[in-house]
Amino acid sequence: MTQMAQVNNQRSDQARNSPVIGPDYGSRWLADFHQAAAAAFDRIGYPDADDEQWRFINLSPIRKTTFHPAVEPGHVPPQELAKLSLADRGFYELVFVDGMFSPAHSHTGDLADKIELCRFKDAAGKDAQRISPYLGQELSALSNGFAALNSAGFADGLFLNVPAGVAVGRPIHILWLTTRHSRPVVVFPRLSVNACDHAQATVLQTFASLDSDQPVLTNAAVEVVSGRESQLELITVEREASHAFHVTNQAVRVHTGARLQTLTFNSGALLVRNNLHVQLAEPFAQATINGLTISSGHQHVDNHTTLDHARENCPSHELYKSLLAGNAGGVFRGKILVRPDAQKTDSKQTSKTMLLSDDAVMNSQPQLEIYANDVKCTHGSTTGPIDDEQLFYLRSRGVSAVKARSLLTYAFAGDVLNRVLNPVTREFLSELTSDCLHRMHIDAVGS
Amino acid sequence: MALLEVKNLHATVQGREILKGIDLTINPGEVHAIMGPNGSGKSTLASVLAGRENYEVTNGSAIFNGKEILHMSPDERACEGLFLAFQYPVEIPGVSTSYFLKAAVNAIRKYRGEPELDAMDFLKLIKEKMKLLEMDQSFMNRSINEGFSGGEKKRNEIFQMTVLDPKLCILDETDSGLDIDALKIVSQGVNALRNSTRGILLVTHYQRLLNYIVPDFVHVLRDGKIIKSGDKSLALELEARGYGWLENAA
Repeated sequence: MTQMAQVNNQRSDQARNSPVIGPDYGSRWLADFHQAAAAAFDRIGYPDADDEQWRFINLSPIRKTTFHPAVEPGHVPPQELAKLSLADRGFYELVFVDGMFSPAHSHTGDLADKIELCRFKDAAGKDAQRISPYLGQELSALSNGFAALNSAGFADGLFLNVPAGVAVGRPIHILWLTTRHSRPVVVFPRLSVNACDHAQATVLQTFASLDSDQPVLTNAAVEVVSGRESQLELITVEREASHAFHVTNQAVRVHTGARLQTLTFNSGALLVRNNLHVQLAEPFAQATINGLTISSGHQHVDNHTTLDHARENCPSHELYKSLLAGNAGGVFRGKILVRPDAQKTDSKQTSKTMLLSDDAVMNSQPQLEIYANDVKCTHGSTTGPIDDEQLFYLRSRGVSAVKARSLLTYAFAGDVLNRVLNPVTREFLSELTSDCLHRMHIDAVGS
Repeated sequence: MALLEVKNLHATVQGREILKGIDLTINPGEVHAIMGPNGSGKSTLASVLAGRENYEVTNGSAIFNGKEILHMSPDERACEGLFLAFQYPVEIPGVSTSYFLKAAVNAIRKYRGEPELDAMDFLKLIKEKMKLLEMDQSFMNRSINEGFSGGEKKRNEIFQMTVLDPKLCILDETDSGLDIDALKIVSQGVNALRNSTRGILLVTHYQRLLNYIVPDFVHVLRDGKIIKSGDKSLALELEARGYGWLENAA
């Protein structure tokens, strides 16, 4: 069986990026799934430059490059893995190398005793019947070309089922690592999480890549169902090297009484697009969705979120913060959709940006679509430089300029980090933030 | 040797000259008060000495401890032993007072070539000083000045000053916005810092503060210049007769 199948594409400008079809492991349902997605991509194609949803991101570097699917896992230098591993902090750790699960690099401990872990390619018979609904269904809320390409092309991926009433305890780290390649590669991380009723878990995904002179495209898709009264914390950490392009489509459905908490942390990659779609599908579902972006150089991070209030009595909170230095660009576009049945919705959206250079640019757009009449929706957005008076205050007490800037930027990020529920995860993210900021201020002073 | 020797200091803000030739000498152990009507340049003088940006020094010098400080960054000046208590202390949400103050203490110690304090030693130091200013310990875990009343903010300034143990304390309108009880506590804190080596410069509009912190010298600033200097009786005379009396005299 061929690893790459070309699909006819009528649009000439897309010919070079025809969908990659995921490897055929002899699993009929999976092959059908890939094929259907490839056909969908042929209809949808890449987002056009005039597509309102993609107006603030320049996709031409991605479109101009011919990316090849990673065929087999590359070499992982142990010291590079050590930098990214959270196993020593007490996380369960599942490592994917170039899109393929690597048991040798993973630390699963007793995880399999607590939850069900299944690679899509291994699901056959009854398992396939049970698992297949968790593939593609949530993602249909995000019908864009990248999501279709992921569905057509993923080589491996996980279904993670937290059984009813199970509290996993230790957080789960899923590391998606792309190694060095001699040509541009694309990987398609794919994850489905099903938290059954009353389940509790923290899942942290890291996207990372080894430094390379060849571009990497990471096109990830994540689907989550948060069952009744469940508590799910989903963290995404983007820390790929500066040659990486990254797109994540993540869709979550939240049921009655469930509490969903997300954090999208961005410090890596050159170009990042995160689409997060959260549907509060039943009454009394809660969602708190947060973002923290630390960018410099010519990085561009585009966060698109949708909070879809489908039913009544659901509170949602959203806080996205960005720290932009150098020539970095940021986009926040947060949509709050309140459907006719979603009376008593209480939704608060906040976007705040600190610009650390004159050349950094932020574009922040709230978007409220309200079809119910008894709702409370607020949104606020601020963008500004570091406060000179605060800076002078700290320095007047002997604190150096670099340290003062670190303190103030860290404080700015602090309320996002404080929202992280899992203590071990919060500690890790606090340290990561500190490191990123320190590096950024040192760079700024050096230049 | 004088602790601070300011000579012919001229400074502008946005092209407008505010200080028009200040001469001021403070010797170790002395308390000086700078008084003057609004807009006379009192706060500008305090800010220029502490190194606030957006002021441009166009002429003159300020020798502190034998070193010219006008070219130094604000943090270097602080490390040299200069402290400015702000007229309007700024709120800094998300930065705890204890973390910040420990960073400040250790930055200054490092500058002086002293070993940095560990958490235990630092805690011991601040507990002692908090008692002096009748401060609650919970205050150390709160963000700097966040949600503080005017009086609490000023007390926090004096507390930091006490912890950092500077050679020269500049207090910019510390009495403004204080009720009488807070004024007493703050004054008590400042008086406790008086010794034979430290210098104190009080910038104030009213004589009231000087009932509690009695100065050795009083200077009257008007239109960017010191137009009269004297002892503490000058402050009382100003209180009785107003600044108009001096303007007529000048």
